[in-house]
Amino acid sequence: MKMTRWFTSAFLLAVLLLGLGELGARLFFAADISGRFEYGYSPDAGFDERRDGVVKLFRAGGRRFHPQSFQRQRPDGTFRVFVIGDSVPRGPSFKGAYPWLLGKELQQCRVPAEAVNLALPGYGARRCQVVLKKSLEFQPSLIILHVNDSNKYEDEREYRRSQEFKTWHPRNWPMKVFIFRRLYEAKVEKVFWPLVPEQIRAKFAARDADAQVAASTDPEEVKARVQLAKATTAASVALARENRIPVLLITQCRMWPDGSGSFYFEDHGLDALGQSLAGDGVYFLSMKDVFAHLPEGRAYFSDSGHLKESGHLLLAKAIVRKIREAHQQLGLTAFKMEAPFCHSERSEAK
Amino acid sequence: MSFITWQYLLFLPLVLALYWRLPGRWRLVLLLVASYFFYACWDVRFLALVLATTVIDYLCALSIEGKSPGPVPVLLLALLPAAWLGCCSLALPASGINTIIMLAAGAVGLAFFGAHEIIRRLAPEKRPRLFLILSIGFCLGILGFFKYFGFFLDSAHNLLTFLGLKPNRVLLQIILPVGISFYTFQSLGYVIDVYRGHCPACPSLLTFATYDAFFPQMVAGPIERGKHLIPQLEKTQVFDPVYLQDGLRLILVGFFKKVFVADNCAILANYVFAPQTPLNGYWAVLGVVAFAFQIYGDFSGYTDIARGSAKLLGVNLAVNFRFPYFARNPSDFWGRWHISLSTWFRDYLYIPLGGNRGAKWETIRNLAVTMLLAGLWHGANWIFVLWGAYHGLLLILYRVVPALRSLGDEKSASIGKGILAVALMWVLTLAGWAIFRSANLHQLGLWLAALGHWQTGLSLPWVSSSLWLLIHVAPLLLLQILTWKSRDETDLRLLPWPVKGVVYALMLLLIVSSTEHDTEFIYFQF
Repeated sequence: MKMTRWFTSAFLLAVLLLGLGELGARLFFAADISGRFEYGYSPDAGFDERRDGVVKLFRAGGRRFHPQSFQRQRPDGTFRVFVIGDSVPRGPSFKGAYPWLLGKELQQCRVPAEAVNLALPGYGARRCQVVLKKSLEFQPSLIILHVNDSNKYEDEREYRRSQEFKTWHPRNWPMKVFIFRRLYEAKVEKVFWPLVPEQIRAKFAARDADAQVAASTDPEEVKARVQLAKATTAASVALARENRIPVLLITQCRMWPDGSGSFYFEDHGLDALGQSLAGDGVYFLSMKDVFAHLPEGRAYFSDSGHLKESGHLLLAKAIVRKIREAHQQLGLTAFKMEAPFCHSERSEAK
Repeated sequence: MSFITWQYLLFLPLVLALYWRLPGRWRLVLLLVASYFFYACWDVRFLALVLATTVIDYLCALSIEGKSPGPVPVLLLALLPAAWLGCCSLALPASGINTIIMLAAGAVGLAFFGAHEIIRRLAPEKRPRLFLILSIGFCLGILGFFKYFGFFLDSAHNLLTFLGLKPNRVLLQIILPVGISFYTFQSLGYVIDVYRGHCPACPSLLTFATYDAFFPQMVAGPIERGKHLIPQLEKTQVFDPVYLQDGLRLILVGFFKKVFVADNCAILANYVFAPQTPLNGYWAVLGVVAFAFQIYGDFSGYTDIARGSAKLLGVNLAVNFRFPYFARNPSDFWGRWHISLSTWFRDYLYIPLGGNRGAKWETIRNLAVTMLLAGLWHGANWIFVLWGAYHGLLLILYRVVPALRSLGDEKSASIGKGILAVALMWVLTLAGWAIFRSANLHQLGLWLAALGHWQTGLSLPWVSSSLWLLIHVAPLLLLQILTWKSRDETDLRLLPWPVKGVVYALMLLLIVSSTEHDTEFIYFQF
């Protein structure tokens, strides 16, 4: 009664609605909002480690994992492959992406393989490293790191956004409320970025991580970002190797028209990076090598960088060949690895 | 300190908590200290100007009524601004206050004291008028020096150069004190009211100083009349929950207009009116529409927050905006836009000039002079004078062209005519905003030229940006529709309370969703 004397019923209703919204979000969507505002830099977002020992991958915290599950403790004898990367390995669909196809191919070769697709769209080297760190907790037999240089921009932008409201300064208090922050974020991503041209946002919007990063066309800054991406990839490889996990680097290539109606493939120096890192327990496969020599290489691409399902299948087969080459080092000696060692390669040979 | 900072959101509750706990007179002390602190957060030095205006008008008003204090108090008060600067220079050596500035302030104080003493010794019947002139002279002198000196110096230099002479350029960097036009006009209005007998001279310096520097409205209005605000400050208020309810509502609506509407529209307006922006007709129109809503949301939002803050202290401030974009004619527009300024010019300039009582050409002259000065009030720039002239022309045309008068007449018009009149006035208002927002005549020319080019060319795509504008303007228009019947832009009392509750919640969500584009209030620069 006293409250309604001080505040109008309408005001109290507004507070109640907002309070209920916040409470509902925190109660019923607790898992979904975990790490939501880390923008991919949360160590655990998207990994639901259940009491029964199953790890479920779900969409949370800016991580759009394909829904999958695996045992926290790797079953004895299982060859567990984690594929970490961006939208290319994530694929056009879960079963149309090379991680799934790789698992199938290996199983056809009687390898008890378990391939998990940990790829996330827009993830560059920095955020892939966060996923890699988490994946090391689940005893992978092989980590496939899909190296691309096109997402360093998103990495930087999302890092800035993750830092934006971190402190407990009073100006950031409203953004500690989930529904406020979610609405703010939705407006930024779904309204502000698509509707207002970048040239305008860069100059006339007070705080805009997207435009700020996009506007930094300073060649030195861009170069520094590429260097950071490469150094981070090297650090990720080193991290995996410290844990004695073999790493297969797949370096991205891009396909461009050459002006004469034909196409050429470009690796942006990633192949050189792959070669430089290859060595003890680190293997390297160039996408350019896989596709460039094919007469209709471009037919496997849906755009300059993304693969069609046929491209994913071809890449999966190439990875199987690479694994076969290194089967002894990868602990796959118990299996028949002579060439052609499995159904798919036999049919390819025919 | 700005209303849209977290500092203000801490400052206001602190002031309120103390205010309602303190007994009568101490509340004024608190309000004065809080107001000076609020102003000093921008620039502690310019508090000397507020003090000067306060002292001059306080003494002149008392002297007009023949209640002038003795020479010693007058001298001490006249030297108060110089003393303040001295304290600042001692406490803040980096403030840039040097001996010359302090001596100048002291000289102005002594000059005022001397003039005051001379007038006091004259015949009683001459004194009121001369004290009024003294007040107007000193206050407009301060305003003129800080706001217009550089402008007139530059204009004189340009004119002489144009005439083929080669004058030496005098460089004098004068910083424009925040809100100087507002508090100077408020203070002047009070002295004129005292002179006319519309308002008694305030005997308490504490009350008058609080009136002059009342923090909710000091830097950007509404420009309050002494007879309206001083009695409210003098009265010891008893807390009423209605103050809290109305105050919070006004602040919420103010933040909505400023943060959601104005700051988001500003992104497009700033782009269009930035130098070297390639414009076509679409962008020119989009930019000026965006600016129209920016300046409206910005200024009326500020006023609502000011009114809400004052209401929380139990003080009612004047309504400054009343659906201005639904005006049907130029005269109606000025009865809805920045009402406290337009009524100030009406009462203290237009009517004393003769208003519309004389011949038609005299009315035209009076309108022209009033609007030119109203334009100049907005800023030391010929573009504002042009804007004032443009609105003066609209007012004159409306007065002399019968067809326009018939179209815009509120009483006799049909619904169709009314819609046409509102639409026509809206377009005319937009043209005025194009003048107002342009940095100079060259930019205005480019904007006008863009209206002749509707090809896409180098310009950015405009459709998505129009959608951005629409998203931010539509909720404001919806709010105006909801409040239309109550004749107060912030009053939702005619809605059922559950609907009001939902509207409040939505407004809060929209405010929070827009916190990334915070920009300063436009009218602070005036």
